[in-house]
Amino acid sequence: MTFSDTDVQTFAATPSKFFGHSWYAMQHLPAKELGMLQLAALRMRLAELRDAIPVLTTMADETGIGALTSVDDVVPLLFQHSVYKSYPLALLVKNRFTELTRWLDRLTTHDLSGVDVSACDSIDSWLDVLDDQTDLRVAHTSGTSGMMSFLPRAKDEWDQMFSAIRCGLFQYSDPTGTGGRHDGEYFNLIWPLYRYGRSAIMRVPQMGLPHLLGSEDHLHTLRPGRMSSDSMFLAGRLRAAAARGEVDQLEINPALRARKDQFEREQREMAETMPVFIDEIVDKLRGQRIWVLATWNILYAIAQAGLSKGLSRLFAPDSLVSTGGGAKGAVVPDDWEHLVREFTGVDHIQHMYVMSEITALNKMCEYGRYHFEPWIIPFVLDPADGRPLPREGEQIGRAAVFDLLPSSYWGGFISGDEVAASFEQCACGRTTAHLDRRIQRYSEKQNGDDKITCLASEEAHRAALEFLTARLA
Amino acid sequence: MTTATIGGAQSALPELLIPALIRGKTVYEDSEKGLVSFGGRGGAASFRGPNPSGIVQALPLRDPGELADVHRLRFDEIVDYLDELGRHLVLDHNEHLQQALEYSAGWSDMTTPLVRSSFLQLPALFAPDSVRQLADAIGAPYLDGWVERRMDDGRVASIRAMGARTVHVIAGNSPVIAALSILRNAVARSDAIIKTPSNDPLSALAVARTMADMAPDHPITRHVSVAYWKGGDAEFESTLYQPRNVEKIIAWGGFASVTHVLRYVQPGLELISLDPKRSATIIGPEAFESEDTVRDVALRLATDIGALNQLGCVNARVVYVASGLDTNGLGRLNALGEAVYQQLQGLPESLSTPAKTFDPELRAHIEALRASPDWYRIYGGSDGRGAIICSQLDEPVEFHRSLSGRVANLVPIDDPATAVTAVNAYTQTIGIYPEQLKTRLRDALALHGAQRLVSLGYAADPNVALPQDAIEPMRRMVKWIVDEQCDPNRVTPLWDSQ
Repeated sequence: MTFSDTDVQTFAATPSKFFGHSWYAMQHLPAKELGMLQLAALRMRLAELRDAIPVLTTMADETGIGALTSVDDVVPLLFQHSVYKSYPLALLVKNRFTELTRWLDRLTTHDLSGVDVSACDSIDSWLDVLDDQTDLRVAHTSGTSGMMSFLPRAKDEWDQMFSAIRCGLFQYSDPTGTGGRHDGEYFNLIWPLYRYGRSAIMRVPQMGLPHLLGSEDHLHTLRPGRMSSDSMFLAGRLRAAAARGEVDQLEINPALRARKDQFEREQREMAETMPVFIDEIVDKLRGQRIWVLATWNILYAIAQAGLSKGLSRLFAPDSLVSTGGGAKGAVVPDDWEHLVREFTGVDHIQHMYVMSEITALNKMCEYGRYHFEPWIIPFVLDPADGRPLPREGEQIGRAAVFDLLPSSYWGGFISGDEVAASFEQCACGRTTAHLDRRIQRYSEKQNGDDKITCLASEEAHRAALEFLTARLA
Repeated sequence: MTTATIGGAQSALPELLIPALIRGKTVYEDSEKGLVSFGGRGGAASFRGPNPSGIVQALPLRDPGELADVHRLRFDEIVDYLDELGRHLVLDHNEHLQQALEYSAGWSDMTTPLVRSSFLQLPALFAPDSVRQLADAIGAPYLDGWVERRMDDGRVASIRAMGARTVHVIAGNSPVIAALSILRNAVARSDAIIKTPSNDPLSALAVARTMADMAPDHPITRHVSVAYWKGGDAEFESTLYQPRNVEKIIAWGGFASVTHVLRYVQPGLELISLDPKRSATIIGPEAFESEDTVRDVALRLATDIGALNQLGCVNARVVYVASGLDTNGLGRLNALGEAVYQQLQGLPESLSTPAKTFDPELRAHIEALRASPDWYRIYGGSDGRGAIICSQLDEPVEFHRSLSGRVANLVPIDDPATAVTAVNAYTQTIGIYPEQLKTRLRDALALHGAQRLVSLGYAADPNVALPQDAIEPMRRMVKWIVDEQCDPNRVTPLWDSQ
């Protein structure tokens, strides 16, 4: 089997089109063909980006990587995940956004040199300008370590990402792939967070809207406004400083002072809105097809609140309840999935292995294995020396991926996760590489858990707002 | 024979049985509770030892009166004992030390050449001059007997520094800590129970067994016990850490080990905390006066970074350099950084070697910084031989708390005085160049929390007779007892007061 350059281009950049909008097709391409496609697409991305992304150019010059004979040859060029937070923290704390933009410019093919951010005095205002004046829709991480990563993903890449993700979501309960594309169908998204925001998670409702929701009417959010990136950043720093006993030394961006009222309002809203929200969705969405995407603890809280009011099996059975992030060290009650199923009426919960940095939701199969989507090439690296472990059998080590979809930034990066990956065909019949459900962060394994995980981010955000309003009072 | 996995490779060394040593007696196994296996730190080799619950009753000195025997010794006799002990602690002739060295490859963070050079220091540590200098912090007369002091109110006081029953929770980053604890205990005429760390379970035992071989019935020998239990073993520790058993706990090392101990502190049981610290370095503009000064500073700084593979809290990590922040200043800084990296590679094997393990998280952080050449220059860092990260702005890297394995961060500043604000209560040693700068900054640094200021190049060479962590450990280890003699004819009686 051979693939033309056009095939390779279509596969990488527009996977939904290549696979005929069939999730079954995405997950059942014979492994050998998939491997050929992935290698060809990887070569294409390296050729396109090697001299177009300055950080990559430097790395490629230093390592002397030439032609790729196998996908493993790209490993020396994978970015550490911390590359996207390799700027000095002082740039953010001291509002040096011109320099921060110059830093970001080295990570994307989009030209940011003409963007004037000299008037920006907060992360929110900086991202406002980038959203308005460029094709980038930068996604940041939750800043759990005290540092925030900024990933320069472009609007067309978000589009292709959600076009591809649509297949996996709508055809999730279609084991034989015979149910069709579900064109014209949409979910009501229950979003127990803010309506807008710029973190990788908070971008989901707006960037996914055309593909998954169809219209704003289908978006049901807990809070109307935008989650401030500045307060998320502060939440992470506050947590990190508290762990070191250095809260007193934390510098606050003076521009946040002008937004004191906003933070106070957010603080009040965080305390009040959940019970009202549950009443609203019960009222509006009973019996309808919904999608809810949240961490287990939020799903659990909603289910408990609903069940205590005597509500059960509330939504249409073809609804979807998705979660990711695992338990991250928290003690998870045995019955949480049962209660969530009981409240929502879905017959199972969709677990996903997600990372802010990649364009796929890697879903768990009936056998409890997370399957990578085909446009993601997974690697397992030796945790000690970073070399790739053989692409066969079961391998335990540091997860790394190459995301073939983006064409404006380098999709290869090394995660902080320890995984057990299998390159053999799964019992479920899917042909893609798959992971065991036990996933652990190396940093937690080594140093204990002093980070905020996405689990605790609501609490951390509340703490940040309390701190801000007290400090600004 | 079972084999131990060391550093991922199969080692020929068998899983070692490590006895406890209780008051001069080697205890291999308790008849009732038997042996248990202990996992080494971070997947390192494991070892077996007596079940801690079987020995916990035998460890403490129940009758405090039994410390009378060491108090009957004259200070000179203690000096002589330690002198003889030092003569027995010669690596070439001491099988206990040899075994400790052999097995250290499995669990120490240090490489074998560094453990060897630490052991080679032991005889000098126990030499008479060294012991006398250590005792100077207290004063030998106060150790030997009661020292009279006439007070203005007419009373005559007699003061003596008495020994105490003490648990030493020691750190394992250097074997010298084990020897130092035994040395201090002898000078203080105290009773020591040494809790060994999992990354160095043999050094303290080797010294104590040498004592038992040399003078099994000597009071100094009989007031040292050495045992391993897992730090935080609540059942064991709550039994041992009682005021009826011990009066002081000296806790070295990490945050966890100190906080474990805190819950047992109560009236009658005191904590002496030699707690986790970080160190810093300040280099004045004089470093750039000539090529010679740059070379000299680079070698001294490399020594402060690399000595004993940067495992100590005394080692240099974040280095503030008054190079200036303009283009020329950054050029000077980067040239110094490169020179320091070169000097690191040339340090003698007895002082510094490539690190045993290069923390993969740190390695990833360093790799990521290569994406920001506008802000960071990096020399080395692709292997375990160390790295110098030169910030190109006046801020240390965000991960500066995890610098290890001979990795330092040079931070340019305009005025050396601005480095003072980076100092806090967690700052132990500050290496400074040149001397005048140290003199100029020392009051301010001390007020901010710095505890030891030292000439650049000597950070990792502390003198154990001097204050440590802003206390005088010897003075804290003893109990200061006063006998007041009040003659009513000279001291106005309270009962006569109007």
